[in-house]
This record gives sequence, C-alpha cells and structure tokens, in this order.
Amino acid sequence: METAPVIRTLQETLESRQSRGRQWGFVGDQDAVEPTCLVILALRHHSSAYVERALDAVGNLQNKDGSWPAFVGDEAEGCWTTALVLLSLMAARQDSPRVNRGIQWLLEARGREANWLWRWKLRTVDNNVQFDPGKFGWSWFAGTTSWLVPTAFALIALQQASSHGFCRSVQLKGRVELGISMLLDRMCPGGGWNSGNGVAFGVPLAPHLDATALALLALKGRERHRGFQASLQWLVNHLAGCPSPLSMAWGILAIAAYRDVSPEVRESLHGRAEELIYLTEQTAEVVDNATLAICVLALEAITADNVFEVRS
Amino acid sequence: MMDLDRRRLVISAAGLAIGGAATARLLPEEMLLRDRRPARSRVAILSAEQYSEGLTNLVLSGLREFRLTLREKTVLLKPNLVEYIAGVEVNTNPLLIGAAAEAFLKLGARRVVVGEGPGHQRDTYLVLAESGLGARLHSQQIRFVDLNRDELCNVPVKATYTGLEQLWLPRTVVASDFIVSMPKIKTHHWAGVTLSMKNMFGIVPGTKYGWPKNILHWKGIHRSILDICATAPIHFVIADGVIAMEGNGPLHGTHRHLGKIVLADDPVAADFTCARLMGLNPSLVWHLDRAAHFLGNGSPGRIELIGEQLPRQVAPFDVMPEFASLQMRL
Repeated sequence: METAPVIRTLQETLESRQSRGRQWGFVGDQDAVEPTCLVILALRHHSSAYVERALDAVGNLQNKDGSWPAFVGDEAEGCWTTALVLLSLMAARQDSPRVNRGIQWLLEARGREANWLWRWKLRTVDNNVQFDPGKFGWSWFAGTTSWLVPTAFALIALQQASSHGFCRSVQLKGRVELGISMLLDRMCPGGGWNSGNGVAFGVPLAPHLDATALALLALKGRERHRGFQASLQWLVNHLAGCPSPLSMAWGILAIAAYRDVSPEVRESLHGRAEELIYLTEQTAEVVDNATLAICVLALEAITADNVFEVRS
Repeated sequence: MMDLDRRRLVISAAGLAIGGAATARLLPEEMLLRDRRPARSRVAILSAEQYSEGLTNLVLSGLREFRLTLREKTVLLKPNLVEYIAGVEVNTNPLLIGAAAEAFLKLGARRVVVGEGPGHQRDTYLVLAESGLGARLHSQQIRFVDLNRDELCNVPVKATYTGLEQLWLPRTVVASDFIVSMPKIKTHHWAGVTLSMKNMFGIVPGTKYGWPKNILHWKGIHRSILDICATAPIHFVIADGVIAMEGNGPLHGTHRHLGKIVLADDPVAADFTCARLMGLNPSLVWHLDRAAHFLGNGSPGRIELIGEQLPRQVAPFDVMPEFASLQMRL
C-alpha cells in the first residue's frame, strides 16, 4: 500500500485552496482557525511557503488574553481552537510568547460546571444527564459546560506542551489530571465516548467514532485505566466500513497511536488505511479542507509521525 | 430659577427613561416585536401510510394547493438530520426530502439545496451517508450543505428573547429565497416537542456556537428558538409524521405510526397542528405559545385546513414525566 502519492495529491489540493488571507476556510473564502491549523499540520513537512504564511496569519489572530477565536471576524472571546493553534505552532517549532500565552489561557479555561453554584445545580436539580460535575474539562466556547472533543484537544495540547518543554508547571499537571478524570467519567457504559456524556435521561448513549478516537489519543500512556481496553476494542471493531473520511481518519490516528498494544490493532491499521484512500478518492471534491487535512495526517501516521500522539 | 427648572427637567427625563426601561423589561417580549402574523394561515394534513416513491406526487399535489410563487427562487430544505441509529426513525426520511426537492423543482424553483448542521455529531458526512440521505440526494443531483461549516454572516437578531443582538448564520441560509423547515414530528426531552420551529436550531453553526450549539442552550432552548425563527423566517413547512416519535425523543423514543405529512405556509400554524395531531396542547409549549403572539397563528380560527381535518380524538403521545401536562385528555 503506497500512501505517499495519495498524501501528496491531497496536499496539492490543500495548497491550491489557500485563501488570499493566507489561511483556509472549511469551504469558500472565509478563513477559519480549525481548518487553517489542521492544514498547517498537514503541510508542515512539505510546503514551507504556504505554512509560513499561514502561521503568520493565524498567529496574528490571537486575542489579548492569549486565546484564539473560531474564525476571522469572530468576537474576541477565546474558544476551543486555542488548543489546536498551540498544536500547530508547537509542531512548526514556533517558540514564541504566543505559545506561552496560549498555554496559560488554556490552563485557566474551564467548563461552566467548575463554578460551585453550577456544580450544586447539576448535582441536585438539573441532573437528567448523569455525570460528575466536579470532574470538569474544557468547553467549546466560554460560558458553557465541558464537552468531550474540546477537552480531548486541550489535553493533547497541554501534554505535548509538557513533553516539548514549553511548560512543566504543577498547575499543568493538576489540570491535565482533572481533565483526564472528566474523560473517564463521561465514558459510555460499554466503552467509547459520545459527544458529551455516557448516559442521559437514564439511557446509555452510543459512542461516536471521532469522539472516541480523540479521547483515546488524549489518554495515551494511561492504558491501565478501567474502560480503556473496551474503548479501543470498540473503535477497532466499529471503524471497518465507516463511510466517512473524517471519522475514518480520526480512527486511524487513534489506532496508529496504539499499534503496539496488540497484533489485532496493528493489523487493522492497514485495512482501514486502504479504506481511507478509497474514501478520499471518492469524496475529495466534496469534503471540507479540515477533513482533507485530517486524512493527510492519518495516512502519514501509518508510516511516520503522528501529530496528535502524546509522548512521555 | 432657571437652573432649578433645568434640573427638574433632567431628573424627570431620567425618571421617564428608567421607568420606561423597567416597564419594557416587565412586558412580555412579543409586545415589543412587530406582529408578523398573517390574517390567515393554511395547513394541509396529508395521509401517507408509508415512505415510498409515491410521496413525490403527494407532496406535489399538496404544494399546488398553496399556489406558491417559486419561479427563479433558491429553495433551502432544512430537514432534521440528527444522528443515525440503526432501526430507529430519528431523522426526516430521505424519501420525503427527495420528494420535496423534486416537487419544488417541478414548481419552478431555480435551485433546491438541502442543508443541516447536526447538533451532537460533528461528522455531518457520516450521518448523511449512514442515513441514506447522501445517496438519495446524489441520485437526484441535489447539493447538500453542512451548515455547521458553511461561511458565516453576522445578522441582527429580530427578537429579544436571548438578549443576543446578533447571530452568525450560514451564508446558504441567509442567501436562500425560500426556507422550508422539514421536521420529524417528535417529542423532545428538553423542549416538549420538536417541530418546524425547534428544527431551526440546526441552522445555527457549530463552528460558532459549539456542538450541540451550547451557547444557545445556555440562553434557553425556547428563547433561542424564538430568536432564531424571528431572524431566519421559515417560509414553508413539510413535516414528516409518517412515522413519528414519542417518549424520550428526539433520539431514544419509540416509533409512533401517525401516517401524516403536514404542509403549511406558517410555521406556528404548522406546529400547533402537529402538536394537536400528537394529542398535545400546543399552548402549553412555551415557545409555541409565545410565537403565536407575533410570529404566526395558533388559534384554530385563523388556521384554514385545506386537506384533511384534525381527528376528533387522538391518543396523546407518550412524553417524559415533566411534560405530562401537555397531554390532552380524551
């Protein structure tokens, strides 16, 4: 299986779609932080001119408080994309005050349930969704509760910040542990993760492929936690035949990070990679830039480095 | 003397301003909004026992009754596409969406686009593929737009329920000439029911508001529905009640075979009619009751039923215990 030509074709497509604003939108001309960061990661080894321009442009979007907005023109309230910007800046070896300010913002950001009053309300009155509000992660946007995907991105970014030497504070360690406890608390009863919680209105929720993959990536190095093996197994079992390149790519990124866990996990990787190549051929014209970039990163992770893998 | 008069004037003006603002806060919001209710609204209840290719003719003949002016218009169909759960009718059925697209094109629409921004599931393409809607639209060469990731426009909010002054909305929504809300008739564990107005939560982009549109949930679901529907008006409704859902909707309820499709030129009239078909009292659903004061008609006297009549008696849909009061007694 030859992934290099497919990767290069996708990269060329992404290069051709860079906007006049030197970034990328999901579709069309409106630059947004999520696709820009993912494309920076996807092009980081090849297209230095494109990447340099984009790093400069996305860096300039940083808010005064150290966070990043969701898109160009967005209000100056920090949001979950801050973690993604940090991942792209760190991968591009950008050692700047921007990174440190972003890390500090991320360390201080928390879901709304971090406030004691909301914790009390969620425990006593507003308890149709079963979770422990004392275990909080990160929200999509300020003023809302923690959700799975922004928490996983924040955990990956903070752990990489620690392993790359950007920050090794006690505060970071404590915040990561609290975030990890949130992920474990929100796991679905049979393993895997839905977008927010495992149980709502007394009904166990079904896991999502992309959320499960991201949670597993954030939990790297914590394979002994209860429910971890069931979650990885769920992902391996359910990824085969997935019709969407986005979920398939995230699944591959997670499985690639755990390829040494068992022969079954390792063997599944090649089958899924072939499926992803087929999916990208079928859908490259219709899917958005963020999805194409994640496909590049997934195919890259099969033979080379995995940008979302947390290393101790 | 002059100074004293001027001071009195300033104090009186300030008092009037403060008093006016306080009074405005105490008044129901809809009293401060422009009344957009038409003199009469038209609703058609059509029988459809099952999902089939025959729905195109049924929808087309139903739409003809409304004498819509669609020539050269871009029509946006906004179905309810939430999540795929095997064996469970969670989403607006693809056959009905395909039928509506074909019918609008036959009635002269320049273009028909289908758009949705699922609430919890970030992988829109996955839901599109698994639900069968992707294949259906592909076979009819109808374009789908992921409203969670579309380009965004900043639009002034045309109601005051959330306190938000602006909403970021997808360009596809803002640029459409004719918006058709296509809900699945379901109960809802947070809102009581999810019909054409609640369905519009899906136009709010996750890119800006999170998944599941967190910021607006914190502003209040009912209040957000009113602001969204006032800002992005629904021009027409095609509600899927062939197989509806009762109990713990919108995802984990049970099927209820209603065998009906509801067409309407007023979303409030559509939702009042759908709720009555569910055996639920629409006036007790907060956003419907408020909407009937300024957005559309809820009163039976202002709703003309041009298809079938409402059944005399309906066994009420099962609801979550906190919504038991919605059930109309037989």
